[in-house]
Amino acid sequence: MLTEIGFTDIAVGEPVDTFGGAGGEKNARAYEVYGYSFLARRPVPPH
Amino acid sequence: MTETELLVDPAVLREQVREKYREVATDPTQPFHFHTGRGLAHRLGYDEAAVAALPDRAVESFAGVGNPFQLRRLAPSERVVDVGSGAGFDTFVAAGQVGREGRVVGIDMTTEMLEKSRATAAALGLDQVEFREGLAEELPVEDGWADAVISNGVINLCADKHAVLSEIHRVLKPDGWLQFADIANGRPVPEGALRDIDLWTG
Repeated sequence: MLTEIGFTDIAVGEPVDTFGGAGGEKNARAYEVYGYSFLARRPVPPH
Repeated sequence: MTETELLVDPAVLREQVREKYREVATDPTQPFHFHTGRGLAHRLGYDEAAVAALPDRAVESFAGVGNPFQLRRLAPSERVVDVGSGAGFDTFVAAGQVGREGRVVGIDMTTEMLEKSRATAAALGLDQVEFREGLAEELPVEDGWADAVISNGVINLCADKHAVLSEIHRVLKPDGWLQFADIANGRPVPEGALRDIDLWTG
C-alpha cells in the first residue's frame, strides 16, 4: 500500500513483543502480532 | 475505498477508539489489554534519558506499539506532524529532537487527550509544540508542510488505511519522511474476526 500511494525507500525494523505480559498477549500470540517500526520517504518528483 | 469495501464502519470504530482512549487519558493505571507508561517506553526501546526528562503526566497515558524514532532520528529544526498524538508522549520526544527551531503539530480526535497534551505542553513551556483536533483521514495541515510525519499504533485503528496514508503523503514535503510504528500479524486473522469491531480495540 505504501508503494501504491507513492512512498519509496521503505524500511521495516525488528519486531518488538509489544503485548508480552499484557492482557492482549493471548490474542497476540495466536496471530503472531508484534510491533514494528516503519520508515518511508515521499520522493522528490522528477523534473 | 468505499464504505462497503471496508471491513468495519469507520464511524462506529472511531467512536469505540475514542471511548477506549478517553479511559487511557483519564485513568491510565487501570489494566488495559496493552501496556502503558514508562514501562512500555522502556520495552519499546525509547531513549531512556529523553523519557526520564519528561514528567509523569507526559508519559503515563502513552500506549504506543513500537518506536517511530528507531529507524530515523528527527533532525534539528524539522517540522513534524504526529498523527494520533494522544496525551503527547511521542510529540514531546519529537520536540526534544527538533529543538526550539523546529515545530511539532500533534493531531488527535479525543477531547480528553487533547486537554491533557495541551496542559502538559504549557507546563513544559514547549512553544514549538501545538495540538490540533482532527482525524487521521483529514489532517488539519496544509499540503507539503511536514519534513516528517510520525505515528504510533494509530493506523491499525483506522478503517481506511489507504485514506490515512494518502493524507500523510499529502502533508509531507517532497523528500519528507514517514516514520511510524504499528502492529502486524504473522498469521492470517479470519475474516469474521476482522469484521468484529470489538476486537479492533480490545
